[in-house]
Amino acid sequence: MNTTRARRRTPRIRSVAAVAAVGLLISACSVSDPEAPASDEGDGGDATFSIAVGIDPDTFDPAGQTTTTVQNMVDYMVETLVTVDEEGEVSGKLAESFETSDDGLTVTLGLQQDVVFHDGTTFDAEDVVFNLERITDPNLTVPLGSPFDVIDTVTAVDESTVEVGLTRPSPGFLSALSVTTAGMVSPESITADGNTNDNYQRPVGTGPYTYGDYTAGESVTVEKFADYWGEEPYYDTVVFRIVPEAATRESLLLAGQVDMIILPPVSDIESLQSNDDVEVLLAESDRTIFIALDFQDPLLSNKEVRQALNYAVDKEAIVDNVLFGAAEVLDAPMAPSLFGYCETGSYDYDPDKARQMLAEAGAEGATLDLLTPSGRYVQDAQAAEAIAGYLREVGLEVNVTTSDFPSFLSRVNAPHTENTVDMHLLGWAPAYLDADFQMQMFRQATHPPAGLATSFYTNPQVEELLAQADVETDPDTREQLYCDASQVIWDDAPWIFLWTQSFPIVHSTDVTGIGSTPTEKFDAINARPAN
Amino acid sequence: MKGTAAHIVRTLLLSLITLLGVSVLIFLMLRVLPGDPARVLAGLNASAEQVARIRADLGLDEPLLSQYWQFLSGVLTGDLGESARTSRPVSDEIAVRLPATLILAVVATIIGTIAGITAGVVAAVRRNSVVDHVISSVAMMGVSMPVYWLGLLLILLFAVTLGWLPAAGSGEPLSIVLPAVTLAAFSTALISRMTRASMLEVLGQDYVRTAEAKGAPPTTVIIRHGLRNAFIPILTVISLQFGALLGGAVLTETVFGWPGIGRLLVDSIGARDFAVVQGIVLVYAAAFILLNVIVDVLYVVIDPRIRY
Repeated sequence: MNTTRARRRTPRIRSVAAVAAVGLLISACSVSDPEAPASDEGDGGDATFSIAVGIDPDTFDPAGQTTTTVQNMVDYMVETLVTVDEEGEVSGKLAESFETSDDGLTVTLGLQQDVVFHDGTTFDAEDVVFNLERITDPNLTVPLGSPFDVIDTVTAVDESTVEVGLTRPSPGFLSALSVTTAGMVSPESITADGNTNDNYQRPVGTGPYTYGDYTAGESVTVEKFADYWGEEPYYDTVVFRIVPEAATRESLLLAGQVDMIILPPVSDIESLQSNDDVEVLLAESDRTIFIALDFQDPLLSNKEVRQALNYAVDKEAIVDNVLFGAAEVLDAPMAPSLFGYCETGSYDYDPDKARQMLAEAGAEGATLDLLTPSGRYVQDAQAAEAIAGYLREVGLEVNVTTSDFPSFLSRVNAPHTENTVDMHLLGWAPAYLDADFQMQMFRQATHPPAGLATSFYTNPQVEELLAQADVETDPDTREQLYCDASQVIWDDAPWIFLWTQSFPIVHSTDVTGIGSTPTEKFDAINARPAN
Repeated sequence: MKGTAAHIVRTLLLSLITLLGVSVLIFLMLRVLPGDPARVLAGLNASAEQVARIRADLGLDEPLLSQYWQFLSGVLTGDLGESARTSRPVSDEIAVRLPATLILAVVATIIGTIAGITAGVVAAVRRNSVVDHVISSVAMMGVSMPVYWLGLLLILLFAVTLGWLPAAGSGEPLSIVLPAVTLAAFSTALISRMTRASMLEVLGQDYVRTAEAKGAPPTTVIIRHGLRNAFIPILTVISLQFGALLGGAVLTETVFGWPGIGRLLVDSIGARDFAVVQGIVLVYAAAFILLNVIVDVLYVVIDPRIRY
């Protein structure tokens, strides 16, 4: 009797297995996106270019951009009026000419003709007016909108000429127009296809690719735009795969399942460099990494002490051993790619000198707290630990605390109190390549909570120089003013000056035409097969 | 069976109180967490005025009680609010991501159950043999191996070296294999150990000896007399594991770029996206309660002696 029952069970177990198998199949299909093209596994038949990135897009609205990774995707679809090259020089894009009046208060833009948006409408001066007014609308959240606060009026003079009136001369303004935030979208598209002004998810621009598809947490697909006005790109489809884990991105590339990745594990850069199948680009970035010192702290308000801390840390050794070479030690309070940079100085590693200076300042054996975010910048917490080690070497007590970024930010972006942390590791990447933006870190007007000048540094001489630079329209004079200000800041040492981190891009040697811009972006729109 | 129905109704009613408690807890936990959502959203370069405006838009400048009331009344009408980060409705965000996590958890549980029970039964029947020792050692490895590390090793072997399987994503049918196997490793180990222990206890019982004595075939004895009677604790482990997989797949989802809800939860906590975090936690809580009810029913099906 038992036997029969047992036999009766067998088919039931089989059917359970069958149901499970079918379920598995259905499930696999329902997650997969039938429209997402499979990556070309090296045979290049379907002309798809795939890039693995780490961040899931929060918004495709150019005005809502915060991270360069997402801006990079938007840049395929939406174009800006101008671009900025590696030396910080502005050149035309949708605006083929641009001119600033002698008083610096009017910028005249001559627009490219015969440009159409993806929805078929023609791009003209009215569209520029619409977009610039949109990003200065106080009711819209524009995270990178501060450079556009100087816009007073925007006027369409004729179909292809726009005049922008500024409230004050703003030498960095043209450069700011190159930021994705100021990208040109079709005014009609703001309310089309489920878009709204506050929730603009399907961008319609003039770029070489149109919005294709977005699967949350998985991928973004863009398709070639047939009526693109500029140089036609090679690939029909570009897929951005969203892969948060650096080691997995590296595996995807090595397995030939994507053509290019950004930000591999830094510890693997060396082995990737010696791999013949891939090419590593250590792109220059404008992001300065530094330890901000609390300028109003009784101990750290002493310049000798701040300089001693700079001498105490072996920046070169940390770059080599902790960042695996993926950084350049700073020689100015800003990255070399900014307009207004000049080589300012160096604090060469000298522990004896540091000890002596600390002794003279009566700061021997002092206790300092060091706060660092974890996972925000390349090897941030690890670098902070190494720095603490060097500071202990010269006799200081250092307590390192790590924190997730929002908590970190709430701590350092608060008005000064006696609880303000003594030292914290921070990175700052100007949205456009001009010293104007970097100098926010050294001005009283941007002390927290108004801005992120988190060392609470101020020096009347610097304020004076920067106030002049703000309204100076002659580029050479302006550059000199920033150089002079840099000199004072370097000597005052409100930071332990560390490095500009590199932005590593790795791609298969089967593809070529891949570059970078110094704002931590890749430039792969014109990628093509290597042979 | 009548008692069971009453039990289920009672459990579901009680669970409403649990859900209310969860909603209060998660609401308060998010608000004591350092980090200002408006500042995170506005970005590093935003002015104080912009941050203040966003704070007002998100309703964060209102009293806590009124914020909670808005959240609760929203939930009661099926509206979980809007994501501060993406401006999309929270219910949409969850609806897009939840299926991926469910599928992964279900497949991993199926793999874990089949492999775990098979290994456990074999180990119990051939106890103290070489096979038993091998199974026990492998199970020990499965329990102690970090998911993260196992996942990367599997990727290296099956995607990079052999080129058989996709390294990441969910775009192809085979994509689920590596994350599901990785996720199943721990469950398999746990289930096999529980099965072995439970089977050993049952196989020593008088009725098993009786069954053997009257000449029932070994498979019948093992499955019908042994496994069925040993199954209650195994089912408990499986259900607990399934619950853990739903919430604990974050690392696996991250390593394999699997677009599940665990990653969304972590991203949302990082962005202080209160509405999304609250929504996901409530959905988790509801899923756990539902799972418990299902398991209660299964107990009765497997062991008719159980009465509620």
